[in-house]
Amino acid sequence: MSAPATPRAIAWSRRGATLAESWRVYRRDRGGLVGLALLVVIVALAVLAPVLTDGSGLNVTRVDAAPLQPPSASHWLGTDESGRSVLLLTWWGARMSLVIGLAAAALSVVIGTVVGVLAAHFGGWTSTLLMRFTDFFLVLPALVLAIALSTVLTRGLGTIVLAIGVTSWPQTARLVRAQTLTVETRPYIERAKALGGGHRHVIGKHVLPAVLPLVFATTTLTVASAIIAESTLSFLGLGDPSRVSWGAMLKSAMDTGAVTAGAWWYLLPPGLGIAIVVLSFTLCGRALETVFNPRLRGVGA
Amino acid sequence: MGRKIVALLAASLMVALVPAVATATAAPAAAQQDGDQGATLRVGLQQEFDSLNPFLGFSLASTQVFKLIYPTLTTYAAEDFGVVPDLATEWKHSRDELTWTFTIRRGVKWSDGEPVTAHDVAYTFNRMMTDPAAATANGNYVDNFAAVTAPDDRTVVIRTEKPQATMLSLAIPIVPEHVWSKIDDVADFANQRMPIVGSGPFVATEYRPQQSLTLKTDEDFWRGPAKIDELRFVNFENSDAAVQALRKGEIDVVRKLTPTQFDALAGASNIERVEGQGRRFFEVILNPGATNSAGTPIGTGHPALRDVRVRRAIDRAINREVLVERVLGGYGQLGGGYLPPIFADYHWTPPPRLKRPFDIPAANRALDAAGYLRGPDGTRRTPEGEPLNFEFVLHGDEPVDARVGEYLKGWLSRLGINVTLQPVSDNQVNERTTAGDFDMVISGWSANPDPDYVLRLQTCSARPTPGGGGLPDSFLCDRRYDDLYARQLAEFDHDKRVELVKQAQRRFHTQATGLILFYPNSLEAYRSDRFGDFTTQPADDGVITGQQSYWGYYQAEPTSKAIAGTGGTDYGTVALVLGVVIVLGGGVTGLVALRRRATAGDRE
Amino acid sequence: MTQVSEAPERVRPRGERSLRLARLVGAKIGGGLVSLFLVAVLGFLLFRVLPGDPARAMTRGAPVSAEQLAALRHRFGLDQPLWKQFLDFLVNLLHGDLGVSYTYSRPVAELIAERFWPTVLLTGTSTVIAVLLGLWMGTRAAWRHGGTFDRLSSSVALSLWSVPTFWLGLILLMALGVGVGPLPGLFPVSGMSAPDVPPGLLPRVLDTAHHLVLPCVTMVAVVYAQYLMVMRSSLLEEMGEDYLTTARAKGLREDLVRRRHAVPNALLPTVTLIFLHLGLVVAGAITVETVFSWPGLGLLTYEALRGPDLPLLQGTFIVLAGSVIVMNILADLLYHVLDPRVRGS
Repeated sequence: MSAPATPRAIAWSRRGATLAESWRVYRRDRGGLVGLALLVVIVALAVLAPVLTDGSGLNVTRVDAAPLQPPSASHWLGTDESGRSVLLLTWWGARMSLVIGLAAAALSVVIGTVVGVLAAHFGGWTSTLLMRFTDFFLVLPALVLAIALSTVLTRGLGTIVLAIGVTSWPQTARLVRAQTLTVETRPYIERAKALGGGHRHVIGKHVLPAVLPLVFATTTLTVASAIIAESTLSFLGLGDPSRVSWGAMLKSAMDTGAVTAGAWWYLLPPGLGIAIVVLSFTLCGRALETVFNPRLRGVGA
Repeated sequence: MGRKIVALLAASLMVALVPAVATATAAPAAAQQDGDQGATLRVGLQQEFDSLNPFLGFSLASTQVFKLIYPTLTTYAAEDFGVVPDLATEWKHSRDELTWTFTIRRGVKWSDGEPVTAHDVAYTFNRMMTDPAAATANGNYVDNFAAVTAPDDRTVVIRTEKPQATMLSLAIPIVPEHVWSKIDDVADFANQRMPIVGSGPFVATEYRPQQSLTLKTDEDFWRGPAKIDELRFVNFENSDAAVQALRKGEIDVVRKLTPTQFDALAGASNIERVEGQGRRFFEVILNPGATNSAGTPIGTGHPALRDVRVRRAIDRAINREVLVERVLGGYGQLGGGYLPPIFADYHWTPPPRLKRPFDIPAANRALDAAGYLRGPDGTRRTPEGEPLNFEFVLHGDEPVDARVGEYLKGWLSRLGINVTLQPVSDNQVNERTTAGDFDMVISGWSANPDPDYVLRLQTCSARPTPGGGGLPDSFLCDRRYDDLYARQLAEFDHDKRVELVKQAQRRFHTQATGLILFYPNSLEAYRSDRFGDFTTQPADDGVITGQQSYWGYYQAEPTSKAIAGTGGTDYGTVALVLGVVIVLGGGVTGLVALRRRATAGDRE
Repeated sequence: MTQVSEAPERVRPRGERSLRLARLVGAKIGGGLVSLFLVAVLGFLLFRVLPGDPARAMTRGAPVSAEQLAALRHRFGLDQPLWKQFLDFLVNLLHGDLGVSYTYSRPVAELIAERFWPTVLLTGTSTVIAVLLGLWMGTRAAWRHGGTFDRLSSSVALSLWSVPTFWLGLILLMALGVGVGPLPGLFPVSGMSAPDVPPGLLPRVLDTAHHLVLPCVTMVAVVYAQYLMVMRSSLLEEMGEDYLTTARAKGLREDLVRRRHAVPNALLPTVTLIFLHLGLVVAGAITVETVFSWPGLGLLTYEALRGPDLPLLQGTFIVLAGSVIVMNILADLLYHVLDPRVRGS
């Protein structure tokens, strides 16, 4: 830390310090901590599912438990209409829901960041056009558009990710644009521009690093809404019924008449799973926002 | 300022609500005219009426209603699907079996008082033969007709191009000429002006789209009026909702229950369950190398499936007992012959010699022997080296399809065959089937008492034309099958025809292009406190709704409770619940407001 | 959010101001029209890139000959070049013609008109309740910032916000509609009216209200959280402003400060955001109507997914997206008319 070696090292140590400071602020948010802890546990369980459980229990031809049985010693959360353990399904369903949520959020944030940065950096006609476009999509009911997209495209994982990603980026775009505008007024960027730094240099070296923390916070929030969107699309029958996800489980529960049969053990776990994961992401996202947006910090907490 | 905005918002929304309540609450004038107490039979439907125009509608919901409000020449007996007179009292055919003469019943009237004559029949058939729009729903019946005439009010003469064995099963609703001759464009006519002029046990009197259709008993029906006063079809979006309505006594009959719901209704008070044999078969088609009507290969079928040995081996890897037990909850019958067992005389079961029982090792041996050996990754390959990766196309909206797909995928993986499930929309299933773009696809048809329609699906002439028309099923196109099909169509001796139909099914089975997995039973339930036994069709293990005639509804026996009054919602309770909610809500708000004031005071 | 944080306008002479307002209204309406046009373009293109033949889809699997298919294509103009199809589509759209539904063989516009008011009833009632509830709780939470009420209401709101609408609906349906254990079902589970309702206005209104309870509660539960959070944070922001300190310094009582100054100013951005997020209400309507079979536009959209019934889906898409856009223009105008800073003193 002491000896000023290369500029790179300085940058790194400065980043390390910022990170430590951010973590200190983050730690103060109790909700954020709870959310983070829950997420770590859930993600670990999801990743380790093939190690900790026997995946063959998902193969309908390999199970022989009675269908739609209430919770018992052998099946803690009961069984589904094919006699598979609801616990196992919920466990494995977490993988698919998380993957779809993360992929869709990533796509959405990439689109949003590109549009936002470009609109702010270039200004003029580009900006007007891009922001008109963004405003249009912001107002457009996202679910309606996602429904239309997933009806039109072939069913599958890619379609769901695309339908959610393509419809949920405008918020990010606006946020990133606002942040970029503030960043670009800073002296060092003015200086970089004056020194003849090209657009690519300015955006890549200065604007993006400054905007990324905020983007990270937004991503966390977007994952939450993407997971809800996935379950909603699956529920409407636009998902891929051959993959186990929480939304697909709820759809099967509906289709078999679990509501009439009072099979609460089939309806509750996937729904609670969604609620917990979404809540965790939301808590983390809000805490991160406080960290990266000092203005909020002053008023909140 | 903020308060004003909120008030403005609230006010504008309230104004917007008024018409909603008004439309929702507009009392149906027609239904409530006469005050006399009579029984209403309320049937829950999970399907919409696609059209009330009998030339257009072909959803089951609509065709049911057509059977109740329009006459047909003949109909099917409740006991055994035997052909019995309806509008036609008798019939005969010429020696060459090309000319049919029907005698029309005397004294039958349309609901507007005009007599029903042979001219109405001739008009209906001729309209279908000349106006393509009118041929939408039932055009296949008149494809082979050369001319239909009415020499007098009581006689209809039909001449056909070729002998046609289905002349006594023309399920075509006859419409009144004096009404329909004024309709220029059938395709654009919704036929929703109530009451609909028809002639049958009931008259349609009130239609609330996507909500309900009400029919009144026709007191002048020639068989005598029905015992119920009114018949109402109530639309439900899902079967869960319909089941709840049945439990609460808001409707009297529900159909198309899932096995889970059927089980859940066991032992429910005042509810009787009816398990009837279904008319439907459920099959998996293995693409045998699709060709169009010109004989040109089409589509993307896997070359391995052109080998009948592979198709038979796949069949041996399917455990039908497990499918019936798990997917249908035991409410179905094991698949065998092409035609379902409800049509007992035509139904054929493979004899032991031809059976292909579930046996995965045997299937594996058969594939080994045929030269489809496993590669290093465990996947089998054709002798030419192409891996056996199959695309399995399913109806994305059908839960049963997805479940069957899961099972087949699991079993075939033990044969070294990879199956990719492809759930797509119904339109795409139809389109890909017609184009031959599949390796495996799920299909299924509701058979009629006369087997001709479904048998035809497997003939060469059912293949798509190069332009894309036609509706193929399994692309069987087999010379021997076609020969048997043609002979049964021209055979007028019932026993001989049955024999030919069975031989055709046998040929279909040995070729294994379509594997019949099961015949789902039809699951229904009704309020036994409001209705006595229903007439089912057929008498043994039959169904109440979805009959091939009107018996179930027409012969419904209301109990004294049903005749006395409604079994619907109790409005006292409704008012009470609402009142409690309002009082509680008000109370809580008041309390909170008071507390707030108090604490505000403390703080100052 | 840029609308919210626009710099306050300086007071200008009256004539200039009304001219400015007129220009602003013109610009907003113009922008709205462009958006509506884009919705039409999107609606057209989305359903034209679909793989497959619309003519075949129209036949719903009925056996048809190649000639019949060609006739269908000709009849619906599918044999025309794309730009010509689009022009026809636009002209028809302006005449209120949205094509004919495959499933119902009826004009789409007619179907949508039938389903429009039930959706307004459901979304309207629940939005009003959710807005009032959210604003009231948000105000309270912000005012006693960090207190028990604040923490409790915020966590409840966040939890409900994290729950998928349809799942909450299903659970409510099972608990209060079907009944659990000895508890009977208290509310109807589907539709807008019972099959047998005695004649007369009162029973019918009661019946509709009875059917409205569960769908309405579901929508309110999921939507109010957002209003609560928005109101809470904008009020918190407002409370940091200087003029409040001034007001307090003038000796105004605390609740007067709140009612007269802070709340009205915090309301403006909140109301704008409410309208900006109307899309969420529409999304809620689709799932809630599906769960409770409420015969509105959302259910119609869901029904159109089967098949799919493309003209119907296209129609509901255009109408839903269009009405959200129209509502936003109205809100925008309302905002500019009502904003004290814009109006001048």
